[in-house]
Amino acid sequence: MYGFEALTFNIHGGYLEAIVRGHRSGLFTAADYNNLCQCETLDDIKMHLSATEYGPYLQNEPSPLHTTTIVEKCTLKLVDEYKHMLCQATEPLSTFLEYCRYGHMIDNVVLIVTGTLHERDVQELLEKCHPLGMFDSIASLAVAQNMRELYRLVLVDTPLAPYFSECITSEDLDDMNIEIMRNTLYKAYLEDFNRFCQKLGGATAEIMSDLLAFEADRRAVNITINSIGTELTRDDRKKLYSNFGLLYPYGHEELAVCEDLDQVRGVMEKYPPYQSIFSRLSYGESQLLDKAFYEEEVKRLCLAFEQQFHYAVFFAYIRLREQEIRNLMWISECVAQNQKSRVHDSVVFIF
Amino acid sequence: MEEEKKEIDFEIGMKQNQELKLEEEPQQQQKQVGDEHVLRFLDSVDNYLTLFESLSCTLRQGWLELVSARHSMGASRVNSSLLDLKVHSASTSLQVTPDIVDSMEEQPHFILRKWGSLYDGKCSYEDQNSKVDGLQGKSGSPLPRHRGKPQLSEEISPKQAPLMVDDQVQKKRSRSLSVFGTLVSPQLRAAQLSFETALETLVEIANMRSTMLSTFNGVHKELGVAKEIR
Repeated sequence: MYGFEALTFNIHGGYLEAIVRGHRSGLFTAADYNNLCQCETLDDIKMHLSATEYGPYLQNEPSPLHTTTIVEKCTLKLVDEYKHMLCQATEPLSTFLEYCRYGHMIDNVVLIVTGTLHERDVQELLEKCHPLGMFDSIASLAVAQNMRELYRLVLVDTPLAPYFSECITSEDLDDMNIEIMRNTLYKAYLEDFNRFCQKLGGATAEIMSDLLAFEADRRAVNITINSIGTELTRDDRKKLYSNFGLLYPYGHEELAVCEDLDQVRGVMEKYPPYQSIFSRLSYGESQLLDKAFYEEEVKRLCLAFEQQFHYAVFFAYIRLREQEIRNLMWISECVAQNQKSRVHDSVVFIF
Repeated sequence: MEEEKKEIDFEIGMKQNQELKLEEEPQQQQKQVGDEHVLRFLDSVDNYLTLFESLSCTLRQGWLELVSARHSMGASRVNSSLLDLKVHSASTSLQVTPDIVDSMEEQPHFILRKWGSLYDGKCSYEDQNSKVDGLQGKSGSPLPRHRGKPQLSEEISPKQAPLMVDDQVQKKRSRSLSVFGTLVSPQLRAAQLSFETALETLVEIANMRSTMLSTFNGVHKELGVAKEIR
């Protein structure tokens, strides 16, 4: 019942909420990013990070550093924190935390299947998988020839099994079918996550419905823009949009027929929360759209911490940490490529 | 008598001047030809350096766009482990044909053919005609050598040809990016175009280098001739 979580939440969730709020205070501020942006080499970045919570993860890395190494080690920190919270969590928080990693599981499944289609070594592909998305039988994905086998041999025993009901076919896996599979799985996952949060009720349902709706809307825009000029038909494009969100259903109808970025802008500007995002872009410009969406997401994630006694803080922390890792990746690449003038193109400040 | 002497001296002087002019004309022509070689050499050096700078800018832009695509799509979608290891024909090939310049030297003629892999027996090429002296000093029969399958003639009307070629090129571009998925971000497509431009610039650089070396040889020869005359 909304409003009475204060009476009972701390019995099972108090410790972990305190833990996650402590982790949140370790996120980088604008001053930290300014220091990082002034680094001349990757070793300078490593030196700056050694004074932060990432220090223990990078201290044993030999020079010369690579940008992928920095991202990999920083991700390990997030994974360790997540695993600690998961092992301490009780139901329903443990299920909620599991939902937070299903997106990475979907990405890993698609990575393995795509790499196998391109005759890559499975071990090489496993090394590239996101650690949050690993599961026991993931290596067995390489033996499947079509989606039916994929489901029957491997995924039936995983949490992704319910999401396959909409995309099981006997067609052989090719690049287009894999892409449709990826987006169909993610659509089913988001809808399932939304239903779970609604069932929890209270502040969790209210805050998570806003965050997941934004995620669904952003995916719809990205699918639209990325499918312009491809062989994906309008009907297939529309099938990939989630069945919730601010844009559902009328925005989706209009997005499905868009043929260029300016038409997408015309659709999105009818919705006040997205009008501010597209107003910052000049006509025909798509490069800053990602940054604008990330900034809006960060704003909403930070607001989740303004309330207590709900699970959305865990989701928000994981997303904010992933944004921080994306920022570190961008800064490292700009420093490595000696293009520091472009470093502020994609860095999103959290605080 | 004195006037006759003066007239004779004047005529002798005129004849000597004419003889001197006749001797100087080929030297002046030679000097003009030498100046022309030097100017061509300096032009080619300038173009060579300009192209290098252009290549550097294009590559920097391409690499940053690739990073931007990784930032947008995620590292699991844009990484080297997704590249296709299956056997397939090359999308770009370089053809070498002989070309004789001024009946003096035989220089290989390089043609860059992009998106040249066959598709249903038809192919679309974007030729980059260029003259390269990359094999200067090497002897041997200048046989055409190219990776990828040879070009086949197309029986289509002249007006429809450019549109069909553009469509086919776009399809080939999208197909080559499909290793990263069929719904890729605009940044990845922009990176592809940048690296494509960089490849064209590389061929132009090779052409310009050969022109530079060729004109340098011309200048060198002129210097040698000038020394002999002295």
